[in-house]
Amino acid sequence: MQRTRNTGLAHLLPLLIPFGLFFLWGIGYTLYGAFSGASTAGGPTLQHFRHIFMDPLLRTSVLHSLMIAFTSASIAVAGGTLLALGLWTLPRRVQPLALIYKLPIILPHLTAAFIVMILLSRSGILASAAYQLGLIADTAAFPDLLYSNSKLGLVAAYVWKEAPFAALLVISVLTKLNFDYVHTARMLGAGRWFTFRSVVYPHIAPVLDTSFIILFLYTLGAFDIPYVLGGSSPRMLSITVYNLYFRRDLAVRPQALALLTLLFAFSLVFVVIFFRITRRMRGREAAV
Amino acid sequence: MRVKNRKQLAKWIPLLVLLAAVVGGCGQSGDTTAWLEKPYAEIEAAAEGSEVSFYMWGGDERINFWIDGYVAESLKENYNISLTRVPMDAAVFINKLLAEKEAGRSEGVIDLVWINGENFKRAKEKGLLYGAVAEKLPNLEFVPPEEIEYDFGYPVEGYEVPYGKAQFVFEYDSAEFEAPPRSFADLEQWVRAHPGQFTYPQPPDFTGSAFVRQALYAATGGYEQYQGAYDEALIKANEDELWAYLKTLQPYLWQQGRDYPQDKARLDLLFERGEVGINMDYNPLDASGKVLNGRYPETVRTFVMEEGAISNIHYVALPFNAPHVPAAMVTANFLLSPEAQLSKNNPENWGDLTVLDPQRLPQEWQNRFGQLDLGPAALPVEELSAAAVPEIDSGYVEYLKKRWEEELLQ
Amino acid sequence: MKGFMRDGGVVRGTSIAGSSAVKRRPGVLDPGSTFLFLLVLGLLFLLPIAVLVLYAGARSWQFPQLLPRGFSLRAVEFVGRQYGAIAASLLSSVLYSLAVVALSFLLTVLPARALAWYPLPLKGVIEALFLSPALLPVMTFSMGAHVLLLRLRLSDTWVGVVAVLTVFAYPYMLRSLSAGYQRISPDYTVTARNLGAGFWTSLLRVEMPMLLPAFGAGASVVFLVAFSEYFLVFLVGGGAVASYTGYLVPFLKSSDLQIASLLTLLFLIVPLVLFFILERWMSAVFSKRGLNNGADKP
Repeated sequence: MQRTRNTGLAHLLPLLIPFGLFFLWGIGYTLYGAFSGASTAGGPTLQHFRHIFMDPLLRTSVLHSLMIAFTSASIAVAGGTLLALGLWTLPRRVQPLALIYKLPIILPHLTAAFIVMILLSRSGILASAAYQLGLIADTAAFPDLLYSNSKLGLVAAYVWKEAPFAALLVISVLTKLNFDYVHTARMLGAGRWFTFRSVVYPHIAPVLDTSFIILFLYTLGAFDIPYVLGGSSPRMLSITVYNLYFRRDLAVRPQALALLTLLFAFSLVFVVIFFRITRRMRGREAAV
Repeated sequence: MRVKNRKQLAKWIPLLVLLAAVVGGCGQSGDTTAWLEKPYAEIEAAAEGSEVSFYMWGGDERINFWIDGYVAESLKENYNISLTRVPMDAAVFINKLLAEKEAGRSEGVIDLVWINGENFKRAKEKGLLYGAVAEKLPNLEFVPPEEIEYDFGYPVEGYEVPYGKAQFVFEYDSAEFEAPPRSFADLEQWVRAHPGQFTYPQPPDFTGSAFVRQALYAATGGYEQYQGAYDEALIKANEDELWAYLKTLQPYLWQQGRDYPQDKARLDLLFERGEVGINMDYNPLDASGKVLNGRYPETVRTFVMEEGAISNIHYVALPFNAPHVPAAMVTANFLLSPEAQLSKNNPENWGDLTVLDPQRLPQEWQNRFGQLDLGPAALPVEELSAAAVPEIDSGYVEYLKKRWEEELLQ
Repeated sequence: MKGFMRDGGVVRGTSIAGSSAVKRRPGVLDPGSTFLFLLVLGLLFLLPIAVLVLYAGARSWQFPQLLPRGFSLRAVEFVGRQYGAIAASLLSSVLYSLAVVALSFLLTVLPARALAWYPLPLKGVIEALFLSPALLPVMTFSMGAHVLLLRLRLSDTWVGVVAVLTVFAYPYMLRSLSAGYQRISPDYTVTARNLGAGFWTSLLRVEMPMLLPAFGAGASVVFLVAFSEYFLVFLVGGGAVASYTGYLVPFLKSSDLQIASLLTLLFLIVPLVLFFILERWMSAVFSKRGLNNGADKP
């Protein structure tokens, strides 16, 4: 069987349509619109980007989204790792019970937002529980989880949905690690933290980084959860874009596209980093 | 190598076909406004066995249920028309129609839309609507023409068909509070006495917008000055009083006014869960309906403010590229019929007030409307009519929407 | 889906403790920690479901009650009456998700083969490029994709929805299949060719069956991604293509928590049932072809 370079390249042709046509065209449309002037006569312009920097509501939206995305992804990866470690070290007989951690993966993001809302709102279930336990006297005393400026509700929804996903990724790497290393270390008297730090962590570090990037980029641009859960201000980037593009005059559409262009450029940096890491990971695996 | 060449060729064919389609772009000759010339009997005959996609706001499941249930079943039974309701906000489907008009799409997917106010103006101005369909409909004779001449100050000219009347009311639980505020000045005292128990949906939500307009009437000396065409100088001269009033309320609102419920549904939820003490609605029979189906405790009551309760009419309209025009027109006519209006008015279904003038109806129907039980929580019709104040030009609506965000959210 | 749990069990490699089950191996969680861990899992993942179930049957539920104020079948009745619309949207979602799985597979099987087996220039770059639609935020290219579909007269159509969902879901299948191909030795194909099989024959009858686990994994992810998507289906489908997420969203944003909860629970059932069927199908195919990974050795 001849495995020539050209045959290989021919293999790639089917992806020409989805990738070449829709994806590149889609990005092209966004870039074109972001730089096009109000009048068709004018050439490329930066006015929309200038508008974004000058409008305080748009600025806060961008910063807010970055913060939420960073926080959610970090907590999700950390939580997912803890989850994965727990699953990995569970006695075998109980492991099937722990499969419920996959529930958030099956449910769509929309429902994660809904669940967080009914559990964590000021008149929600958790607040009722706090009341029954005598911790609070009325709804006002329950901490402002959904609407306070820290937007804990958004983060909670994202973490609930994403930590099991991160756990899944970490587990798939953990299983390649020979458990006997841990067993040996513990038998030799190493503490839990030390074992983790020197035996487990180096093995899973790349997958933690790639998971973080995946989740960070996803949360940054995600629409579903803020659409169901979002407060009035500041808004997540996706909702700002949605409002500008679909609910206002056509004249402000380029602003939405400019925001998306910024998002695209920013994400591109992380995508490059992501593939650097996976290449190193693949190299290491091949060497082993 | 033979295999490879053939495979390579095969890959290009679908791409070429696709490119040809883009370049060729053969448009279909869509439905022109020819239907407006034909007699209604012919339209009704053509509608038989057809289908309608009705795009409307989907935030109230009782309305949804009435449309999916009573309306769809009646249309099927009487005209063999299949009705599909699609939930979509007005601003979003207007954008969709705009995009379709730009792309030259002469046949779309939307047959009928629920529209009024500033959205109607935008749609009509950009040529997104089919035409003067209202005059063709037999049931229009039951509606007083002067009421449907202007929609938020913009001439209707038959481009939209009325189908319900709304009036802005407030709701509270009489078991929780002995007396509701009776005026906007009273409201200011009330929120001071009960901090965190009041809020309103954030504009551009329709209900939140209406609350701001009510506050405008109250804070700047009445609605009369705003009648007639949009006068920017007038609103600029008066707006400070409005913002001052809303800012006085702000620290005593839910979340200290730092955050507002995203939309009407969110406010409903807060009220139902007991997080706020006062709700507001464009449907005067909303409270009755929710008491009847168990979502509100029986002690909830409706009230209006001294400064009046804004009243308006909501409409349906056909988009310019509706694929099933006759069926859409028959549907609009049906919604206007006494049977449908009576069913709609019943708080067990939706509770939306009728646009029909009882004086123009046969006696039998006058009796049936008169005997309709409006439910335990509703205000009597006379009280509602006495309190009614009109809407103002949509230019003011847009201006206030924009300015509210700048004044109250910074 | 359970594959890695079986593999990733604690007792890989030689067990010093032997078969006496009582002795606990160092590193494995003790019963106390195990209980705590499972308790936390239950609170985090089962409790919300329990709350949903309670809401689905609740009459009205206010702060600060821990249980609803009375029960009612209103939500169930609603679902019963709306059975047609709900079933139609569920079916539509399932069908277009399956179509996306099939299309993704057809589009990525050859590229995956190339990435795994062929010497390509700049392989890393090519792979990165082709995987990027799944990493980059969807909104960056969704607007443009919609406009393109509009011009192609494919917007508001089922085909358009499948097309756009495939664009952002195919990378998961590509990844899975190329990992799968990497695990297969090309020698099988060489042997088949030497025996006279052509390119497509060896692809279909030798490589595909070995690719089955990878396909299963990729198909699961792609299906879930397509099935759970709201924004793209709403944008491209324009309301004309029924979807369960489209049906569900107005209720999630409404104040009717009872119906919303019941509909959410319904949402859960479909993937569970489908994955169950997938598991069964895959193990059936495995045992039939004798490729059972040693699962049922005599």
